[in-house]
Amino acid sequence: MEQFWNEFPILSVITLFLGAFLTSLVGRASEKAGRVVSGIAVTAPLAMMLCLIRPVMLQGQIITYWLGGWEPVEGWAIGICLEVDALSLFFALIVTVAVFVSCFYAFTYMNHDDALSNYYTLFLMLSGSVLGLVLSGDLFNVFVMIEIMTFTAVALTAFRTTYEGALEGAFKYLAVGSLGSTCVLVGIAMTYSQLHTLNLAQIAALVPAFRGNTVLHMAFAFLFVGFGTKAFLFPFHPLAADAHAVAPASISLMISGVLTKCGVYGIIRLIYVLFQNANVVTVSYLVTGFGAVSMFVCVTMAFNQHNFKRLLAFHSISQVGYVITVAGLSSALGLGAGLYHAMNHTIFKGLLFLTAGAVQHQTGSLDLDRLGGLSRRMPKTTALFLIGAASISGLPPFNGFASKWMIYQATFTAGLIHHNLFYLAVCVCALITSVLTLASFIKVTQSVFFGQLPAEYAGVEEVPLSMRAPMWVLAALCLLTGIFPAQIQRFLLTPAVSAVANIPAYVDAAMGEGYAAAHGVPGAEVSALPVGGAWSPLSWLALLFSVTCAVAIVAILGSARDEAHEYISQTQDGAAGAKYDSFFSGEEAVYSQVGGSDLFWGFKHNWKRYFAVMQRWHSGIVNDYTLYGVAAIAFVLLVCTLAL
Amino acid sequence: MEFVLNNLFFLLVYPGGLFCVAMGILLSGADRILVARMQRRVGPPLLQNWYDVLKCCGKETIIPRHARRGVYLFAPVAGFAALVTIPLFLPVVNGRPAFSGNSDLVVVLYLLTLVSVCGMVGASASGSPFAGVGLSREMVAMISYELPFVLVILAVSLKTVILSEAGVPLTFSLTEIWNYQAANGPLICHWSLIPAALAMLFVIPCEVGMHPFDVAEAETEICEGMLSEYSGKPLAVYKLTHMVKLYVMTALFYVLFLGGMSTGIAAADGAILAVVCLLLTFLTMSLPHAVCARFRVEQVFKFYWTWVSGLALVSLVLVFFGL
Amino acid sequence: MMIVNYVGCFALIALGVYCMVTKHDLIKVVIGMSLVDYGANLMVVTVGFHPGGTAPIFTISELSRASFFVDPIPQALTLTSIVIGACTTAMSLSLCMMLKRQYGTLDTREIRRLRG
Repeated sequence: MEQFWNEFPILSVITLFLGAFLTSLVGRASEKAGRVVSGIAVTAPLAMMLCLIRPVMLQGQIITYWLGGWEPVEGWAIGICLEVDALSLFFALIVTVAVFVSCFYAFTYMNHDDALSNYYTLFLMLSGSVLGLVLSGDLFNVFVMIEIMTFTAVALTAFRTTYEGALEGAFKYLAVGSLGSTCVLVGIAMTYSQLHTLNLAQIAALVPAFRGNTVLHMAFAFLFVGFGTKAFLFPFHPLAADAHAVAPASISLMISGVLTKCGVYGIIRLIYVLFQNANVVTVSYLVTGFGAVSMFVCVTMAFNQHNFKRLLAFHSISQVGYVITVAGLSSALGLGAGLYHAMNHTIFKGLLFLTAGAVQHQTGSLDLDRLGGLSRRMPKTTALFLIGAASISGLPPFNGFASKWMIYQATFTAGLIHHNLFYLAVCVCALITSVLTLASFIKVTQSVFFGQLPAEYAGVEEVPLSMRAPMWVLAALCLLTGIFPAQIQRFLLTPAVSAVANIPAYVDAAMGEGYAAAHGVPGAEVSALPVGGAWSPLSWLALLFSVTCAVAIVAILGSARDEAHEYISQTQDGAAGAKYDSFFSGEEAVYSQVGGSDLFWGFKHNWKRYFAVMQRWHSGIVNDYTLYGVAAIAFVLLVCTLAL
Repeated sequence: MEFVLNNLFFLLVYPGGLFCVAMGILLSGADRILVARMQRRVGPPLLQNWYDVLKCCGKETIIPRHARRGVYLFAPVAGFAALVTIPLFLPVVNGRPAFSGNSDLVVVLYLLTLVSVCGMVGASASGSPFAGVGLSREMVAMISYELPFVLVILAVSLKTVILSEAGVPLTFSLTEIWNYQAANGPLICHWSLIPAALAMLFVIPCEVGMHPFDVAEAETEICEGMLSEYSGKPLAVYKLTHMVKLYVMTALFYVLFLGGMSTGIAAADGAILAVVCLLLTFLTMSLPHAVCARFRVEQVFKFYWTWVSGLALVSLVLVFFGL
Repeated sequence: MMIVNYVGCFALIALGVYCMVTKHDLIKVVIGMSLVDYGANLMVVTVGFHPGGTAPIFTISELSRASFFVDPIPQALTLTSIVIGACTTAMSLSLCMMLKRQYGTLDTREIRRLRG
């Protein structure tokens, strides 16, 4: 059955790589040409992926494409294959949307920089590699794409070579990241030594016959840690913080929204489809445990940060921790919640990084202790930031609430069904992490956008529309995916979860009908996510809105009659007015603002030992980070070989 | 037509809108009188807080120069709207929430969070350094009570959860909590949940921001913190929010631990609810107010994350082991 | 016989990791990264090696059921992986160069402005 869309996966990957090639050709001559080429190169894959929604998501087709027509011979896959099921397409959609937004944002955002043709080339290569990764049906191509991804991401992290710490962050990312890539390679070698194939579908078909094979358990451990590195899970999170904070904002969006998602995709593919061991208790504990620790450690680390983007970076890993946590529960609801949150995370964290980029673009600073009061100069950016902050803190009606609600449901249900205290503890951890996230964003809101405006930023202007438009796209998505959860579940999550559960279909699509049945691959279709409890956001949302509107109209009409008096709390030179004298005890008003990092003194005071340990632990020395990585590998290896 | 009228009644009169505002005013008035009596004073009239609100509405609204006008004015209103939405989810009428067939405890938790966040964002938008300190304290207080609150919620849900026909657990459902209590007696009579009930009693004053825990609005230290720049109508809305919170939190306790009692007559149920709320107000707010001095913020945090959370955790573990 | 190869590749990886963890000179860290990479490459080749097999170079007519050759796929993989390894080394060395210019040192204990 040849359909025109069968070529779309390979075309979309090729478009991006071809775009990378062309921008380096024409971009040097004219910057405008480079922009046009990259604009086209990111739009085309998005359009193609949107076209695939109907056949893949709704009709449940699985698209396979064998490069050069090398189809499997006698049940052995020798060719290179692209295989797009609903899970791949789900992540491909996330990737293409993020790439699209990031590219258009960068047009204006990067205008202070030179060598832009290099930027677009690297950017398009990065995009192509991540898209190739999620669409690939071949384990070795996954490795190659991971390597291209790591490279280009490192190069882009260090793109502003003169920026404080850019080179350092890039080097750490490269050194420890290469350890992760090596893990993937070793895992691939071990898998190949047992199964003699690299095709994902064939691996999935052959694995059930190899239950209890120690080498495969070791391979699993290596692959898990390798993908974990790419998702920056604990203890690899310091890399993310270093790399995000110094990269240009459009690249931070890519790293946090897309690269980490590749790791998440890898882990989900690994534990559900390839090794089908997500329901093994040890693996479930391992994955959920790593997720929960990442989630909690990173959110507390965010309390210590003085840099806007570094803080966002820690939150990024914290949110990915949520995704991994529920992915490890091995329930349809958990996986659905994880995918939903992965999607939402890309949207809201992308928005937040772009607002941070806007602040950086206009003020030149990201220091939480120095910025302040920008809402008066950049009101639209402030509004966008508040939307993003509300989403990530999980406030209704934005998308963060919808997915976090599912996460609580999933963990609580898992604790209930398995009668397991561990999952209940994870549920508590998730709820507390959510509050701590909120606290962090209150801190940013207060210390960047509200509070007093320092004199040096008095002339700051709003960012141009060309930068705001991509942010508005993400903000609109924040709201839309939040208030239509039922539609998201029906059209995106359920097909993706069903594709993960229905392994025989995945195997048969690549290897031919009946292959899965011949090898006894288990699997079942999921027709709907078993969401319990009560939740119809639209009903109460309508209510909330009507009440808000009613009261707001009353209040604003009422206050409009008053003049907005200028209340002078400070004299022009910044000295405190008489009202505050007794409280400031002679301190000048400029020093009265509580710095961002001191805002939650009452909390940090009680945890000072913990924070002291963490401070020492995140030493910034690349040797230490390598050591943590090696320790993680050793731990996972030990668990997988002994307990599986 | 009847459907619309019914819903409008729910929305505006009982149990939303009018009823919760009236209850808020009465409870906060009663609280002031009770505290005054315990301190051997006469105290203000019962409706004093309402008079204050009215008076605030008559005053002019001053917007400070450092403030962000839109956020500054809108935040209190949004917070108030979120708050008056909560009573509609509490199944106080015959065990059914007013607005929809079922409702969810996590939604209530997040709406309460939203109320506090609106307060904080408004304070932040006022640009005052005192508001900055105030909101930081409010946030720490929130982190403090959130852990025991979450543990209480989990303990109660774990006790009352049932499987739906499809075998899916109906988690966090307020209606199920109510039904369970209707069948098995109020949860406070189950000894495994008594520690959780105690913990919840401690959570109430901190969530409302009443005296020993009102670190965020400490008048003597930080000029009322979050409210220091507010005046006129926005201040009136804030005061109203504060009062309604009294009702919402006590009613939440009623639903969680004393629910299931229904006489079948709406008015009688309302009366029982009012009496319970009044008792709880006395127990959790007036009494500590009269006998305790204000905590420092790090003391609040420590107290809630050790003692109160410990109580809630005991309950959770007991319930987990089926006791 | 193959055991020597496996021991060798794990020894290389262990040596490389040891170097990355304990050496404070950036260049030595890069050397460690390369060693880890070589170890992994050796492993991939070893996995596809059959003792006594010939090189997997045949034309279609020569190929028969009886021909005994080493597995070609891991060799192709190794080639790719070696190329990638070379790129990693080149990239990290260029970063080292610029770090030296910016920080004035190659000591990892001093290149830690991003921390905490």
